[in-house]
Amino acid sequence: MKNISRRDFLKLSTNSLLALAGLLGIGGLIRYLSYQADPTPQSEFDIGPAVDYPSNSRTVLAYIPAIIINDEDGLRAISLTCSHLGCAVEQRNFGFECPCHSSRYDLNGVVLKGPAAADLRRLRVVESEDGNLRVFTI
Amino acid sequence: MPRTSNHTLNLSRSSFLVAAFIFVSLIGASLPVPLRAEASPQLQSTSTPTPQPTPTFDLQRLEKPVVAPDNSEQLKKGSEIYWGICMACHGDVGQGLTEEWRDAFGTEDRNCWQSECHGPDHPPQGFLIPKDKLAPGVAGSSKLTRFKNAQELHDYILANMPWWDPGQLTTEQTWQVTSYILSLHKVMPDRFELTETNASAIRTQSAVPQPGDDQPALVLLTGILALTGIGMVAQDLRRNRVRPPERPNFVHHLHPPSIPALQARFRYTLGAGGLAVFLCLILLVTGILEMFYYIPVPEHAAVSVEVITSLVPFGALTRNLHFWAAQALMIVVSIHLLRVVLTGAYARHRRLNYLIGLGMLVLVLLLDFTGYVLRWDEGIRWALIVGTNLLKTVPWIGDWLYQLVVGGPEPGLSSLERFYTWHIFVLTLAMIILGGWHIFRVRRDGGVAVPPPDQRKDNVRISRFDLVRREVLVMLIAGVFLLFVSTFFPAPIERPITQAAVDIENARAPWFFLWVQQLLKIGDPFFWGVASPIILLLILGLLPYVLPQTGDNELGGWFPRGNRIAQIIVIAATLLLIILTILSITPTAQL
Repeated sequence: MKNISRRDFLKLSTNSLLALAGLLGIGGLIRYLSYQADPTPQSEFDIGPAVDYPSNSRTVLAYIPAIIINDEDGLRAISLTCSHLGCAVEQRNFGFECPCHSSRYDLNGVVLKGPAAADLRRLRVVESEDGNLRVFTI
Repeated sequence: MPRTSNHTLNLSRSSFLVAAFIFVSLIGASLPVPLRAEASPQLQSTSTPTPQPTPTFDLQRLEKPVVAPDNSEQLKKGSEIYWGICMACHGDVGQGLTEEWRDAFGTEDRNCWQSECHGPDHPPQGFLIPKDKLAPGVAGSSKLTRFKNAQELHDYILANMPWWDPGQLTTEQTWQVTSYILSLHKVMPDRFELTETNASAIRTQSAVPQPGDDQPALVLLTGILALTGIGMVAQDLRRNRVRPPERPNFVHHLHPPSIPALQARFRYTLGAGGLAVFLCLILLVTGILEMFYYIPVPEHAAVSVEVITSLVPFGALTRNLHFWAAQALMIVVSIHLLRVVLTGAYARHRRLNYLIGLGMLVLVLLLDFTGYVLRWDEGIRWALIVGTNLLKTVPWIGDWLYQLVVGGPEPGLSSLERFYTWHIFVLTLAMIILGGWHIFRVRRDGGVAVPPPDQRKDNVRISRFDLVRREVLVMLIAGVFLLFVSTFFPAPIERPITQAAVDIENARAPWFFLWVQQLLKIGDPFFWGVASPIILLLILGLLPYVLPQTGDNELGGWFPRGNRIAQIIVIAATLLLIILTILSITPTAQL
């Protein structure tokens, strides 16, 4: 480093400064593109009174998408979004099947066959003061 | 209106009307009614029994509506359904259950809500019409305002009509009656068949300009181009490739003065590189034309595509050309890549250009995928969700990548905006820059790979005039083929994306990613969906750097000995992709 000429030193410093400016520019570009302009999607759904879901019923609510099951295990909600890559699963007599990559789940959303690694998500259901049920997707 | 004193007469009149009503409903339902029935007055009068005329009973207005003969079959059938099912309440001209329309029924049946009709003690088969919600008008100013377009009207009728028995109409019958209602409303273009793929383009509040018939002009254009091509070939045969000297024009100057004939042999190059340039030009022009109508906003995107496809003059041609040129480009560049590897043409100093070419292959894939997403219809929904969720599976930077591409918490307005910008600008610009560099490198590297002059069997050269003629000829042939395909095979479009996730009709990836969809069925999404394609690309890129290369004397021909391992790898990879693609479209047994 002692023998570095003035010309080389200047060249090195200008190049380093240019590189630094470039890095800063890339960083700024990444931050610019990372802004989230869309609102957060709805994560709480009012699904009406509990009497709409009598015992031994399975009700698909496509707008969540979820299925409300009321059987001997009680009332519960299961997400119909495939745990693999997010397609909406379809009902079959064994349970559910994903039309995108053929993952299968039983009637309670437990994985029968891959590629999905996780079961269909259980969603929180809460009865609010007005007597309506609310499903939370987060 | 006071209740009539003659109760018995009233009862018989109402039961007659109910009977007549059921009768005409049956006729309406038993489609298709032969066309002759409409034309022949005798048949018509037997199908509508004449009731006892009363002074105000306007018999003519209750008859089956007459539709102009040049209308679509759909509209004619719709007029019969309307007459049989809808007209009683919604009026003969779509005015609704107005006083004026009720007068047409005759004095005693004017009051629909009276006892024994649609009143509180209606007959067993009857039904109530709520008086506070009069059957609304369906045609005329300020009518149908709650529906933006024919698709929405169709969906409403399908779900809610007829009032006493919703769901009675099939989808097809609903299209027919929607068509007739919109013609009463004077917004239906003549001879236009409503389908799920064009109904969003027909607005309810303003009439669209009548679309013309593009096919004659297209056939003419295709024919002229074909004749030009034939003429050029004939000229070539006559002159036997000897041409008087010409002054080179701009296009000639883009080429070297002359090239070895070996470099221009079609069965060596397959013309794939030149064809790709031609397809890119078509894509550029048709893409710019599409931008004049396309609206990159979720509520309007698919609708604007439907407008281009079904209403804009030569819009269908523009979109079909863009679609088919893009599909053809995918195939042509794959063939070009295969040709380069299987002839060992990427040896030594051409390695860099090979890498540039691979970069362009990635660009073509990205351009094809982003363009496909711009349809924003039900057909692309799941491919978009899967494709973007795949980004999330990348370790460490997955969420950030997702954010960068999707621009929001889930695919929506921002994602469409971003895909649009990538498609029409960033990727296109990158393609133009890399493409220019690629072509420049071909020339800098000494043209298409052939042996050096002292090792050639044949040292004939062809002039740039001849070269340009050949290029124009190939473009003409490709252009005629594209025009033909685009005239008769429409590019796909499905109904716009709706909020609820119901009835996945099409969960297929676009055809060039079907092999990835099949790989994803195996297991871990990151390894099979992201890492595997990248590994494949890396292998392709490393071929000229790690494997033995073709000798100079072997260049310019297929399957040179020096390059066997690369050939085997590439053929195996091609077969694998084809097998995976076939597997992915093979229906699996359902339990």
